[in-house]
Amino acid sequence: MERDLKSVRNIGISAHIDSGKTTLTERILFYTDRIHKINEVKGKDGTGAIMDSMELEKERGITIASAATYCRWRNHDINIIDTPGHVDFTVEVERSLRVLDGVILILCSVSGVQSQSITVDQQMKRYEVPCMAFINKCDRSGANPFKVIEQLKNKLGHNAVPMQIPIGLEQDHEGVIDLVKMKAYFFEGENGEKVIEKDIPENLLKQAMEVREEMLDKVSEFSDELTDAILEEKEISVELLTQSIRKSTIARKLTPVFMGSAYKNKAVQPGMDAVIDYLPSPIDIDNEAIDLDNNEATVILKSEFDEPTVALAFKLDDGQYGQLTYVRVYQGCITKGVAVINTRTGKKIRPGRLIRMHSSEMEEVEEIPAGHIGAMFGVDCVSGDSFTSPEINYTMLSMHIMEPVISLSLKPIDNKSEIAMSKALNRFTKEDPTFKTYVDRETNETIIQGMGELHLDVYVERMKREYNAQVEIGKPRVAYRETITRKADFNYTHKKQTGGAGQFGRIAGFLEPCEDDFEFNNKITGGKIPTQYIPSCEKGFRACLEKGPKLEFPVTGIKVTIHDGAFHSVDSSEMAFISAARGAFREAYDKAKPVIKEPIMKVVIETPNEFQGACMGLINQRRGIIEGSQEEGVMSVIEATVPLSDMFGFSTVLRSGTQGKAQFSMEFSSYKKVPQQIAEEIFKKKEEEKKKNEK
Amino acid sequence: MLRKDLVNRSPVCKILNPDSITQVKFGAVLSRAGVGKTQFLVQIALTRLLNNEKIIHISLNDPMEKINLRYMDSFNNLVDSIGYVDPQKAKRLWDDINQLKVGITYNESSFDPKKINDYLNSFKKTNNGLPSILVIDGLNFDNDLSSLLDQLGNISETFKISIWFSMRTHREESLCPDGYPKQFENVKDRFDKALLLNPKDNKIEATVLKNGVDKDRKYLLDPATMMPE
Repeated sequence: MERDLKSVRNIGISAHIDSGKTTLTERILFYTDRIHKINEVKGKDGTGAIMDSMELEKERGITIASAATYCRWRNHDINIIDTPGHVDFTVEVERSLRVLDGVILILCSVSGVQSQSITVDQQMKRYEVPCMAFINKCDRSGANPFKVIEQLKNKLGHNAVPMQIPIGLEQDHEGVIDLVKMKAYFFEGENGEKVIEKDIPENLLKQAMEVREEMLDKVSEFSDELTDAILEEKEISVELLTQSIRKSTIARKLTPVFMGSAYKNKAVQPGMDAVIDYLPSPIDIDNEAIDLDNNEATVILKSEFDEPTVALAFKLDDGQYGQLTYVRVYQGCITKGVAVINTRTGKKIRPGRLIRMHSSEMEEVEEIPAGHIGAMFGVDCVSGDSFTSPEINYTMLSMHIMEPVISLSLKPIDNKSEIAMSKALNRFTKEDPTFKTYVDRETNETIIQGMGELHLDVYVERMKREYNAQVEIGKPRVAYRETITRKADFNYTHKKQTGGAGQFGRIAGFLEPCEDDFEFNNKITGGKIPTQYIPSCEKGFRACLEKGPKLEFPVTGIKVTIHDGAFHSVDSSEMAFISAARGAFREAYDKAKPVIKEPIMKVVIETPNEFQGACMGLINQRRGIIEGSQEEGVMSVIEATVPLSDMFGFSTVLRSGTQGKAQFSMEFSSYKKVPQQIAEEIFKKKEEEKKKNEK
Repeated sequence: MLRKDLVNRSPVCKILNPDSITQVKFGAVLSRAGVGKTQFLVQIALTRLLNNEKIIHISLNDPMEKINLRYMDSFNNLVDSIGYVDPQKAKRLWDDINQLKVGITYNESSFDPKKINDYLNSFKKTNNGLPSILVIDGLNFDNDLSSLLDQLGNISETFKISIWFSMRTHREESLCPDGYPKQFENVKDRFDKALLLNPKDNKIEATVLKNGVDKDRKYLLDPATMMPE
C-alpha cells in the first residue's frame, strides 16, 4: 500500500438513485485497469456492475451496501466507497462519510439536485467533508449542466464553480473543455479510453473565456496569490490555479464542478484527475479521537505509521469466509498477527487475514497503514467499534446514528424459518446500527425497526433470499401505558376456605400517582402483616402492573402505600397475600381514575424552505405540537412533538408532500395522556380484538 | 387563578387592555434597536397564552432557541413579580402554555405570507383551534411594505387573527408633526394599536401612539423585566 500519504485519496461517491454513480465507479475501475470489461447496472448482460455485489442490488438496480474498492490513478492510491443512493439507507452514506476524506457528488444533468443530493449534502456538512461535483448524463435529452450548477448554489448553498464546459450536449456530447488548462478533451476508443487533447474549438472559445473569467474571479476570493497575479495581469499558471482551487475545496469554500457522461464514456478521466488535484489526502484532514484515559479529551490523530494504531470499523459484511470488517486506519498500522484492542469490549485481537477489497474480489495485504481503508477477516465486532494499540485507550468519535423511525412485526411461518430469521436479524443488527430488533414481551412478536419502509422491506427481502427465512409481516403496535390520576383507598380481604388449609390475608392502604414507574411504601406497624409477607404484597401489586385491569396495557406511575392489614396464623401464606394485593389493586384501580398514556415522539423535519408551511401542516394534521421552525440557509428545520400512533406512514406522506425533498428523524420523548376521544377509540379496538381472540 | 394573577401583573394589562389585543388587525411596538420591542411583544403574546390561546411568533432576526428563551424569561419575570408561587405549579403552567406557542424563524428575504397562509390553513382543515395572534418581529419598515401588509391584512381577515409587529425606529430621525416616528407615519392608517418605547433615565418610557382614547398616555417600565413601575 502507498506509504506516501500525499498520494492517497479516500473518496466516496454519493448521489441520488439513478444518477449513475455505480456506472461512474465501473468506468473508474475500468480506466484504472481494475476490471477489464464494463458491465451495465441492472444486469442487462446478466452480470451486473462490479460494485453492486449483492444479488438484490443487481436486481433492483440500486446500491444497498457500500462496497469498498481501491484503484490507482496517476501513481496515487484511490480507495472508493460506493454509497447507496436511496434516502432509506442514509446510515450507509453517513458511515462512509465518517471515514472518507472527500466526496464526489454526482448529479444528473437532467434532474439536477434531487432529494438524496440534499440529504447527502447535509451529511457532508455535518462531517465537514470536502466535495467536488460531477454532473453526469450530459448525453441525455434535456441535459443542462449550467442549470444544475445554479441548483447547487441555490438549493444546496454551495459555492459551485464550473471547471469545465461541455463540448456539445445531449446526443452531440463529445467531450469537455478544461478551463484550468484551457484545452479541449475528446474521448475515443471502444470505451472512451483514449483521451485526446486538442485546442478549444473556435465556436466555444468565447464561452470558455467567459466562464473561466468567472471561475478565476470566484477562486481568487480565497487565494491572495491568485488575486495578486490577476491584478498584476501576470500569466496565471496551471499550478497556481490548481493549488488555489485545491486549497479552497479542502476548506469547503468552493465546490469545483466537472461534467460528462459515464455511460457514454465521456470525461470520466478528467474527473479522476480532479480527485487527485482537488480532493484532500489523509494528511490534509484532521481526524479526532477521544482519549478514554484522559477525561475523554479530544486527541488529534497523526497520520503516521509508527504511532500507536487507531482504526475504526465502519462496515461489516458476511463473506463466505466469515465476517469481513471494513476498517479505516487513522494512525499507525493494522498489521497481520499484531495485537490491537477493541476499545468497546477491551478484547485483544490479532488480525489473521488482511485484505484490500475490490468489491467481491479480494487482495491479501500484510498491513493496512494509516490513511488507508482495508478489511479484516474473522474479527468479532460491531460496526462503529474502534481498534487501538494496547498502550492507548482511544475511541473514534461516535458516529451520528439516526434513531429508527419505523417498525414492523415479523412472524416466521415455521420453525426452520424462525431459526433462519434469528440468524439473519443477528447479522443485520451487527451490520447496520440503524436496524434494530427486539421481541415484544406483550405480544411475543419480533419487532424490527429501521429508517424507512424500503429499509425494512430490503431486510425482509434479504432475510428471505439470503437466509431462506419466510416471514409474515404484521402491523406495528404502539406501546400504550395506563396510569392513575388520583389517590384511591383499598381495604381488601382475601379469604378462601375450600377444604384443607385455607387462604387469608387483608391489606389496606392507598394507590396514588407518582413520577416513577412503581413505588412501594410499607407503613405497616405492630405486625399487622408479618414481615415475611410484605414482599408477597409487593409482588402481588407488581404483578398487576404488567396488564391494567381494563385495557390490559402495562400500568406505570403508581405508588402503593400499605398501612394496615390482618393475617391468620394458619391460613395466611405468601400466596394468600399475593392474591390479597391483586384484589386490593383491582378494588382501588377504577376509583383512581385510570387513563391511557401514549408515547410522544420528538420529530425533527428538515425540509427545503418552500415546503415549510406544508410540513407544519402535516404535523398539525397528526395531533402534533410544533415547538418551532427555523430557516437554516435553504433548508428549514421544524421541531415538533407528535404521538407515535400518528406517525405511521409519515415518511410516505412527507415524501409525497415535499416531492421527496424533506426528511425527518424522530425519537421517543415522553408518555402523555391520550385525549378522551382517542382513548375511546383504543378501547373499542381492544374490545373488538378481545372478541376476535375469544372466537 | 395563577393565570389570572399573572395576566394582571403583565405590563400589557396596565398599558393596553389585554382583551382588546386580539380585536385588532394590526398592532405595533416601536423603538430603536435594543430598547425592548421584542420583549414587549413577548409580553403581549404571553397574556394570550395565559388565556389558553395559541400564538405564533415569527422572527426574522433571532434563532428559535432565543425566541423560546425570551418567552421563558418573560414568564419567569411575571411569576417572580407575584412573590412566592409554588414552583411545581409554575412549571406545570409553563408546560401547558408552552405547547400553545409556535416559534418560526425566517430569513428576511425568504419571508413569504403564503407560507403562513398554508400553515394557518392546516389548522382550519384539521378543525384545530386557530392561533389568536401572530407576532412578526424583524420586518424592516424603512422599506415599502405595502404589498406585504396587504397580504398579511388578508390573512388577518381570513383567519381572524391579530398581527403584531415590531417596528424599528432610528435615534437620529426626528418624529413627524403628529408625534409618530417616520416608519409608523407611512402605515399608521393600517394599525389600530401602537406603542413607542424610549429609554428615559434608567427606565423605559412607553408612550401609547394609538389605542383609542389612550393616545399619548405614558408609562415607566423596568428595562430588565419590562414590568411597570
